[in-house]
Amino acid sequence: MNKKLLWLSALSISSTAAMATTSNTISNVEIGVVLDGIYQDGSREFSHREEGFSLGHSEINLSANIDDKFRGVLTTMLESHEGKTEIELEEAFIESLAMPWGFKVKAGRFLSSFGYLNEKHVHEDAFSERPGVYRALLGGHYFDDGVQLSWLAPTDFYLAFTSEAFSGKKLDAGFDQPATVGVYSAAINIGADINASHSWMFGLSALRNGNGEMQFGGEHDHDDHAGDSHDEHDHGEHSHGPAFTGENLFGADFTWKWAPQGNYKYQNVRFTTEYLQLNDLYDTQFSDLQGAKDNLKGIYATIVYQFTPHWSVALRGSEFDHQLANDVHGHGDHAHGDFSDAKLREYDVSLAWLSSHFGQVRGQYTRQETHTKDDNIFSLQYVMTFGAHAAHGF
Amino acid sequence: MVSNKAIFSALLFSIFATPVMALNIFTCQPDWAALVKVHAPQANIFSATTAYQDPHFIQARPSLIAQMRKADLVICSGAEQEIGWLPELQRQSRNSKVRTGSEGLFYVTDYVAMLDKRDNVDRVLGDVHAQGNPHVQFAISDMLAVSKALTLRLTSQDKKNASQYQKNGVKFQQQWQQSMLEWQQKAAPLKGKKVVGYHGTYRYLFAWLGIEQVADLEPKPGVSPTTAHLNSLANFNAQQVYAIVYSTHQSDKAANWLAKRTALPVVALAQSVGGTDQALDIFSLIDSSIDALLAVQP
Repeated sequence: MNKKLLWLSALSISSTAAMATTSNTISNVEIGVVLDGIYQDGSREFSHREEGFSLGHSEINLSANIDDKFRGVLTTMLESHEGKTEIELEEAFIESLAMPWGFKVKAGRFLSSFGYLNEKHVHEDAFSERPGVYRALLGGHYFDDGVQLSWLAPTDFYLAFTSEAFSGKKLDAGFDQPATVGVYSAAINIGADINASHSWMFGLSALRNGNGEMQFGGEHDHDDHAGDSHDEHDHGEHSHGPAFTGENLFGADFTWKWAPQGNYKYQNVRFTTEYLQLNDLYDTQFSDLQGAKDNLKGIYATIVYQFTPHWSVALRGSEFDHQLANDVHGHGDHAHGDFSDAKLREYDVSLAWLSSHFGQVRGQYTRQETHTKDDNIFSLQYVMTFGAHAAHGF
Repeated sequence: MVSNKAIFSALLFSIFATPVMALNIFTCQPDWAALVKVHAPQANIFSATTAYQDPHFIQARPSLIAQMRKADLVICSGAEQEIGWLPELQRQSRNSKVRTGSEGLFYVTDYVAMLDKRDNVDRVLGDVHAQGNPHVQFAISDMLAVSKALTLRLTSQDKKNASQYQKNGVKFQQQWQQSMLEWQQKAAPLKGKKVVGYHGTYRYLFAWLGIEQVADLEPKPGVSPTTAHLNSLANFNAQQVYAIVYSTHQSDKAANWLAKRTALPVVALAQSVGGTDQALDIFSLIDSSIDALLAVQP
């Protein structure tokens, strides 16, 4: 009986390969391009998107099945910065297609499954930038080189576990000899439909960063976590990394979507809220300094209402509690300086005109409030795609 | 009346049948759920969408990923109808049985003589597909070939119940042929009628009935009606047009607007099984659509 099954599955695998080659006569490579351009009359805290005209996350995406067991994805991001065009490899990974029992392995460079927004491409967002807490703690979106193992449970509702190991170089607090595998993460996601109109998903994530805690001693014991937008954690060079790092990062997210009778064409609503908390930023020498916080936390909530096939409006509120380091440095066997509390609040409104499923033009207004000043930022942006365009996740 | 032997064998059958799991079948449209139900009544059948949802705009929801993970067979229209969400479900569900090219993935369009195939596809033309119009739930005469192919596929996926699938397939094909004769007679007055449609949803139904869709409320396939486009339609010669036809899952605004301007009657048809109170299965979907078209009062 078992032998027979084996034979059958062997037969079906061989027929699969034959069908794949005949149905794709030339090539099965999918090429997709995202064009993203923006004009904004201000700049945001913890952001590298500049004032004036710039290319946002213009992307070239290539993907294909490698064989019947693996799929490969390569995404290159083009960004303009101070008159120069920067190319960054955002994704270069392989993923398994045929592992049994609901397992999947991903390896290479990819977006971490931490949180809800992080795994999504920036062009899927309803706003020109990620909320402040994401920019400050994950550099907008955290991708790195590593491996991921995930498992989808055989349940009637959605239940998935994901675990990752990364180099962690992008989240390194400045260690002289960083751990080779710096970051480990774990996430659990559950989701279901309430009825034809309502669907939801809930996730919990944790990320342990072996090189995230700021250590006393060594050459790097000056403060890297300046927290000031003009003097970020960038070692004097342009960086997309986060402004703050710590040993433990936790996240909780909830998403709810609605469309009348589940028909997303004419009207739909998407709501997402996410909470992030960063613990263990400093070792005892620094954390004993006056004003040092035990943790930094932030939250945001977004609601997007597409009210006709061609128009949608989005609202977002976000808050991030952080701190500023005032001349914090190591001196001999003790630390100097102190910390002061800081806060970033943002309120965003955006109105998007959807020219089709593949193009949109949107205006956005952001009210940004920090400990020192309040700003009003207006922007006008297009996000358009051509070629093959991978379907979006929930 | 029932002999002990029959009871005993039924018992024996149920004992042995218990460990043999029924096929889990995932369909992209309720029409294919209805079709496969006729062929495999014992299967666990799940339809990802309802007749009130636009099949091009389905979210790759967590619930659909969970359902696809356990599917033995996935039945979809194909021809890129589900391109915006099926590949994401396939990736996320990690079910190698239903990957593209696998025996566990059945595209109905593979067995249909496709209409409106295009050599040249450009998004300037709207939401068009090189393989042709994918709304094949109304490809009436092709349904026999689809049934035969589906029977074979069910047989290869579940050899134990092969004879049952074959029996049900033959029965369906006979009934369908009989129905086709009835529909042809009944729908004779519709031949040569001209209608204004809303999207290419009834391309195959109209072709089979001999109805001509002379205009579309959509300026381009998949592009929602615009005022400018509707104005251009209002100016055209409504005298020869029989009706404005749209689907119950679509907004009725454009159809009613044009009806007011042109005094043309409006008909709302089901796009799929479940789209009206009358369209309860694959037979009544066609039957009730013809009835609704015949009921138009000019």
